[in-house]
Amino acid sequence: MFSLGYVSKELRRRWGRTLVTALGLAAGVGLVMGIIGVSEGLSDAQNRVLSPLGSVGTDIIVTRTIAPTTNQSTTTTTTTTPGFAGRGGAGGGGFFASGVAGATTSSQATALLNNNASVITDLAKLGKAGTKFTHDFFLPGTLITFPSVAVSDVAKIPGVTSAVGALSLQALHETGTVPTITDTVKTGGQTISTTVTPPKLTPAQTAAERTCIQKVLEKSFSSGSGGSHGTGPGSGRGGRGGTGGGFSGFASNPAVEKCLTPAQISYEQKVVVPEQTITRILKPPTTNTSTSSYTVAGVDPTNETTGLVTKAQLVSGTWFTSQPADEVLVNTAYASTKKLKVDGTVTINAKSYKIIGLVAPTLTGNVSDIYFPLSTVQSLASASGYVNEVLVAVKSSSDVSAVTAAIQKELPGATVLTSKSLADQVNGSLNNAHKLANDLGGALAVVVLLAAFLIAGLLTLSSVAKRVREIGSLRAIGWTRGEVVRQVMAETIGIGIIGGLIGVAIGVGVCAIIAAVGPGLSVTATGLSVGASTVGSLVGQTTTGTVTTIVHLSAPVHFATIALAFGGALVGGLVAGTIGGWRAARLAPASALRDLG
Amino acid sequence: MVGTEAIPLGEPLPEHDAGTPLYELSGLERTFSKGGTVVHAVRGINLVIDRGEMLSLEGPSGSGKSTLLQLLGALDTPTGGSIRFGLRDLAAFGDKELTRIRAKEIGFVFQHFNLIPTLTAVENVAIAMFPNHVRPHERRERAEQLLNSVGLGHRLHQLPSRLSGGEQQRVAIARALANNPSVIIADEPTGNLDSETAKEVMAVLSSLHASGGVTIVIATHDEEVAKLTSRRVRIRDGAILEDTAA
Repeated sequence: MFSLGYVSKELRRRWGRTLVTALGLAAGVGLVMGIIGVSEGLSDAQNRVLSPLGSVGTDIIVTRTIAPTTNQSTTTTTTTTPGFAGRGGAGGGGFFASGVAGATTSSQATALLNNNASVITDLAKLGKAGTKFTHDFFLPGTLITFPSVAVSDVAKIPGVTSAVGALSLQALHETGTVPTITDTVKTGGQTISTTVTPPKLTPAQTAAERTCIQKVLEKSFSSGSGGSHGTGPGSGRGGRGGTGGGFSGFASNPAVEKCLTPAQISYEQKVVVPEQTITRILKPPTTNTSTSSYTVAGVDPTNETTGLVTKAQLVSGTWFTSQPADEVLVNTAYASTKKLKVDGTVTINAKSYKIIGLVAPTLTGNVSDIYFPLSTVQSLASASGYVNEVLVAVKSSSDVSAVTAAIQKELPGATVLTSKSLADQVNGSLNNAHKLANDLGGALAVVVLLAAFLIAGLLTLSSVAKRVREIGSLRAIGWTRGEVVRQVMAETIGIGIIGGLIGVAIGVGVCAIIAAVGPGLSVTATGLSVGASTVGSLVGQTTTGTVTTIVHLSAPVHFATIALAFGGALVGGLVAGTIGGWRAARLAPASALRDLG
Repeated sequence: MVGTEAIPLGEPLPEHDAGTPLYELSGLERTFSKGGTVVHAVRGINLVIDRGEMLSLEGPSGSGKSTLLQLLGALDTPTGGSIRFGLRDLAAFGDKELTRIRAKEIGFVFQHFNLIPTLTAVENVAIAMFPNHVRPHERRERAEQLLNSVGLGHRLHQLPSRLSGGEQQRVAIARALANNPSVIIADEPTGNLDSETAKEVMAVLSSLHASGGVTIVIATHDEEVAKLTSRRVRIRDGAILEDTAA
């Protein structure tokens, strides 16, 4: 077929040409390996950062969210009474009571609004007007709470390895002067006298009255009251002097009273206005109060692997101890803005909490600034027994969709987020770079490879052209066209093998350098609908629900990549050999005799 | 790489009838069309070359000498007439058959030696046996023998660039002999050599002719070289001007 000895000597003794052509191919495939490596590195980085919820040991997050509307937020401002637990309960009750049909949007909205009712608080409760106050209010934001029993319900679903409840809240830190918001006005207690003129009696009424009275009088006379026996004006006049007593005796006589016309019974009244105190709101609570917000989350301090925060995220300090009530973990980003350190404290509503550790934020899931033990947050927010997020870990990723469906059936109206849906909300330079690597990398790889093939082909062509006499001589001394072509191709395939080996070495080196230098890529997750990020719109504040993380790029080299690169170089050799062979085949044997100088 | 069909070297091919002349050219024509003009390089040559002859073709460049040599070497086919090589008419063959004939029966010596620069002397000789499917070790052995016979036993493993012109041409002669050909076609074999070396090379060719009975056709414009051959054919304008036997 071809002379192996000749091939090896040709390659060895024309080492310069061999090396140049091989290096052309090597550079091509090395670059392609680098591109593939970077692309895979970006994929890996993306998988590492994006899918995981894995980074918090969670595959599914169950929440109950609702997007607030302008209408609802105005309604909120009219609600004045605090009392988180009751409304939390109402929300939770609605969650399960509404049961089969699922909670309607409006009932969810109501529950949510109730949960966020304490946005406007009775500031008067914070102290006397004019005194300084500092207070933290805890609001669930767009998440509606539900009873912790939901956690165990979810945990029972087949395929679920663990389900952990968490309470994720927006905290409003308010400081300022207690405003004068009320005054008290006392009213009533006066006695009001009025004279009432009885209506005139009709002649019939007068006659009836008189007859009645006469009867009464006759009766009393006949019963013998002495001296006053007999009729006549005299007696009438004589009786005048004793009008008061007589009349009074007359009037007080029940029998006489019966004769009176009803309108005459009462004609004089005392009216007493009831005494009352009216408290009026004089000003809306717009004082010098300044508000800042941060997010808090209550996590299960005993679960180190699943939850809103895991032990793996710890960058310094320690995880919750066995008595975690006053301990907190602080997000590194929040810690650096607030200049918080491990062993420092944060003070919330006059109580100090010890910072036992700093945790790195994750891109997905609900990132909070401060992590408390769940019970601490529940008591801070007066929401004992309630959670607003259930973090679920499943046995295998293939179970995710089945478990998702089961949870939605179990908890109607719940929002079930999977790691994938969260990953879709992630962007940043990593995402862009990965997109770039995918979109352009592939094209670039093809272009680079084609260029390498072309260079190798041209170099082979020029090499064949320089060997016209040599190849012509071979033809003259009896080498067939096929033998010459195969010889040339064997040489270029040999070059391809050398180029492949060098190229793989270059590629591995490039990938190693990339991994060593490890350019940082930022990843930003925005608009996660989990958590309290949208509470801002309720209270007229803007909070950015973004988390940025820097991921170091690595460029892994897989066997498939090496095989691909090596194969690419071989193909390059074959292409070059085909070009060179085609040229060699066209050489006439007689060219050996030509005087080429 | 190597076929099993190892032909016994030194034996004439079956179709070779020792009784017939090696070459029998009659009315041989070769014309080239170049840009509309037709060049008659060889016009109606009749020539018979017997086995064992040592013949020189003389003529200035453009005389058709080279074209005739290519036709004799089965490197080209005529456009008219016939050229019998043994019992076969080369005019009837295509590239494949001509290549086969070259491989088995014709040896070439070129003006510029045309050795493979990346192969040693012995490899250069051995490579000529490659198309005939001779086993590598046999190739090597025979190559060494042949180089010894041309007086280069001490330079077997030198690359052509390390050899003098005369040495290179002797390697080329050894290569031409590798397949035990019926004829050696030499194109200006001394054209690139000084007169001293030329004499050496001609001595090698002459001794080959004397000892082995191989037919040798030498194209040359060197009178001194031509004088060393037993038959001198002068070519002018594509035709034989003079054909003299010494």
